[in-house]
Amino acid sequence: MSRLLKPLIAPDVFDFWASRFNPTWSWERPLARVIERRQEARDSVTLVLQPNRHFTGFKPGQHINVTAEIDGVRVTRSYSPTGIPRADRRIALTVKRIDGGRMSTQLCDHTQVGDVLELSPAFGEMTWPQAADGRWLLLAAGSGITPLMSLTRAWAAASMPTELTLIYWARTAADLCFADELRALAAREPRFHLQLVLTRETASLDDVACTEHGAHLTTEWLQQQVPGLEQSRVYACGPASFVDDARQIAGSRAEQFHAEAFTLPAVTDDIHGTVRVELRATGRTLELPAGQPLLSALEAQGIRPAHGCRMGICNTCACGKFAGTTQDLNTGERHSEPTAALRICISRACSDLTLDL
Amino acid sequence: MTDTSINRPLSAEELDRFGAELDALRARTVAKIGAEDARYIRRIVKAVRYTEVAGRGLLFFGLFPPAWILGTLLLGLSKILENMELGHNVIHGQYDWMNDPTLNGKTYEWDIVGTADNWRKTHNYKHHTYTNIRGLDDDIGYGVLRIFPEQKWKPIYLAQPLFAVIFALLFEWGVAIQDLRLGRWMQGKMSGAQLRKEFAPVGRKMRRQIIKDYVVFPLLAGPFFLPVLTGNVVANILRSLWTYTVIFCGHFTADVETFPKSVLRNESRGHWYLRQLRGSSNLSGGPLLHIMTGNLSHQIEHHMFPDIPARRYAEVAPEIREICARYGQRYNTGSLPKQFGQVIWRILRHSLPSRPRGDRALTLDPPRDVAAA
Ligand SMILES: Cc1cc2nc3c(=O)[nH]c(=O)nc-3n(C[C@H](O)[C@H](O)[C@H](O)COP(=O)(O)OP(=O)(O)OC[C@H]3O[C@@H](n4cnc5c(N)ncnc54)[C@H](O)[C@@H]3O)c2cc1C
Repeated sequence: MSRLLKPLIAPDVFDFWASRFNPTWSWERPLARVIERRQEARDSVTLVLQPNRHFTGFKPGQHINVTAEIDGVRVTRSYSPTGIPRADRRIALTVKRIDGGRMSTQLCDHTQVGDVLELSPAFGEMTWPQAADGRWLLLAAGSGITPLMSLTRAWAAASMPTELTLIYWARTAADLCFADELRALAAREPRFHLQLVLTRETASLDDVACTEHGAHLTTEWLQQQVPGLEQSRVYACGPASFVDDARQIAGSRAEQFHAEAFTLPAVTDDIHGTVRVELRATGRTLELPAGQPLLSALEAQGIRPAHGCRMGICNTCACGKFAGTTQDLNTGERHSEPTAALRICISRACSDLTLDL
Repeated sequence: MTDTSINRPLSAEELDRFGAELDALRARTVAKIGAEDARYIRRIVKAVRYTEVAGRGLLFFGLFPPAWILGTLLLGLSKILENMELGHNVIHGQYDWMNDPTLNGKTYEWDIVGTADNWRKTHNYKHHTYTNIRGLDDDIGYGVLRIFPEQKWKPIYLAQPLFAVIFALLFEWGVAIQDLRLGRWMQGKMSGAQLRKEFAPVGRKMRRQIIKDYVVFPLLAGPFFLPVLTGNVVANILRSLWTYTVIFCGHFTADVETFPKSVLRNESRGHWYLRQLRGSSNLSGGPLLHIMTGNLSHQIEHHMFPDIPARRYAEVAPEIREICARYGQRYNTGSLPKQFGQVIWRILRHSLPSRPRGDRALTLDPPRDVAAA
């Protein structure tokens, strides 16, 4: 059908008319309808989505870029399905509301059953290997539980021949997601070891190891909790600071270590420093001075991006930015969102960047 | 006509303040852009789609004259809206902040024979950066017409009134081949091979448009092939005539100025704004005129802020007018008949030999040497 229509109608025109009939019909864009919404923990909401046929599925432990329209602007953030692939193709995302967070507030407070979100193909390397065996240790902090929950559920569903330990940090008992399900699994399955850690509350739950206020992951503590650390393969997920700690402590000791952080790269005010700029289309990565407009900084490295007026009016140099923070040199404003149109002639880098050049 | 009476030359310091006031207005306006603008452009998309379907639908009954007339007008309306309020403005990047791939300035492709890529070059870059600078802005007469006395007169221009009408009827085709600059090829400055290479994408776009409007839709109508074909032809011509009228009113009215290349030397932001003002003219009218012209009725505002959603021009116009008045600058506006009358006069007048009056001063001082500062 789509091959027949192609010469007649442009994809965006097709999408316009298709969406009059069903909001998730599209030419090729993966769209999903919210079909269920439930409170998962104090600040966390689970959304169950029914994707259209253009969504190609995910492996447990992967992530998806989700796009929602907020005040006229399409905002994109990554979220990790918490379940395992299902026959009806539904996916569940659990979103933790961040104070002042644009997307998480939208998804937790304003997104309703029936709303449509756009999805990307799934990505991420934190998945079960073909033939998983041995000992595995999952370290989750806050919303970092989501991909690791998916891995745990996949482990349980496939009854894999491995020992699995999950340590999950949350602020208080009310912030814990999936606690009942995890406890039940631990009670039922002797090869599953669960450790729930609260950092802001002295809880009275039997299975909650209470550390002191603000306590952090330390080497001694981890070695005490996980006897076979040296033989374990470790996946860690959470905020950047947590992932850094985990890497320092477990990275060199464990048999294998892989971590994925949920927060943005650091922003620099140092206009004399340099940043790493990845040009994804050409596959090059460069060190560029942070103080200079990107266009001239790239030209100084022998790259010749398309450009015109060099003053921010003609839009010729606009290119996609996948990640990183830039500053508009005319207005001084910072932009951390990925965008399809970054005017590099009047933008400087405030962090490492990934550009579509 | 005494020029200094309508436009006072500004000192460098005045120019800086003039520029700073416009920059501040710009920043205030940019801060307001949001959900309302997104809703607006989506409504325009909707209007384009529905009028197109209604127009094409009616043309299938085109043997019945009222259906043919209404269908043709609706299709023309759809094409005008798509070309101006949607395409032209989206291609300027006015809605890039929405992050919507279907409204992205770098990738939007519009429903005319010219490619959006060529337009991004001749219009967004050359015309908007070098507005009315002789030798740099190809929109001065589009390489076909002599509109300003500074363009060299040749006997062929005696036929210009005729060319102008043909050019208006075929305006979308003229725009499509503008960037090929066939003149260079005719003068032997460009090889045939080079021309063929540059023509390839243009030819593809032309073929696509011809097949869509003049083959596929008429064929879909089966026995009513002819009324659908003629309806499409007329709708495209109506759109050409209208866009030509609007665009010519924006830069070719009586008091609009052109500039020598030397203005570019160390041009300050204030000077750039002043040049946009002196090179542009507005059309006065109501909301319907503004929408139908893609807000190019606010040519002055558009030239100062080409990347701000055009629906905001009406809102900033009174302030720009007030700023211009304080700096002794004429804000060139008038009704469509008045402005287009001046355009026609220019086309007629400069088909005959005419002598330049000499450039009017923009500033009191010579341009400052910024590099030395
Ligand atoms: C691969 C990947 C997978 C992810 N999966 C999930 C998931 O399954 N569930 C989930 O809830 N989130 C997940 N995230 C985080 C998510 O993408 C957003 O970063 C988060 O929802 C905040 O977005 P926001 O628009 O609300 O905040 P923004 O408006 O972007 O930021 C507001 C403020 O909050 C800070 N901030 C941003 N993210 C966090 C954070 N995670 N913790 C603390 N402060 C933060 C910012 O630095 C900023 O100061 C994932 C992130 C990545 C990179």
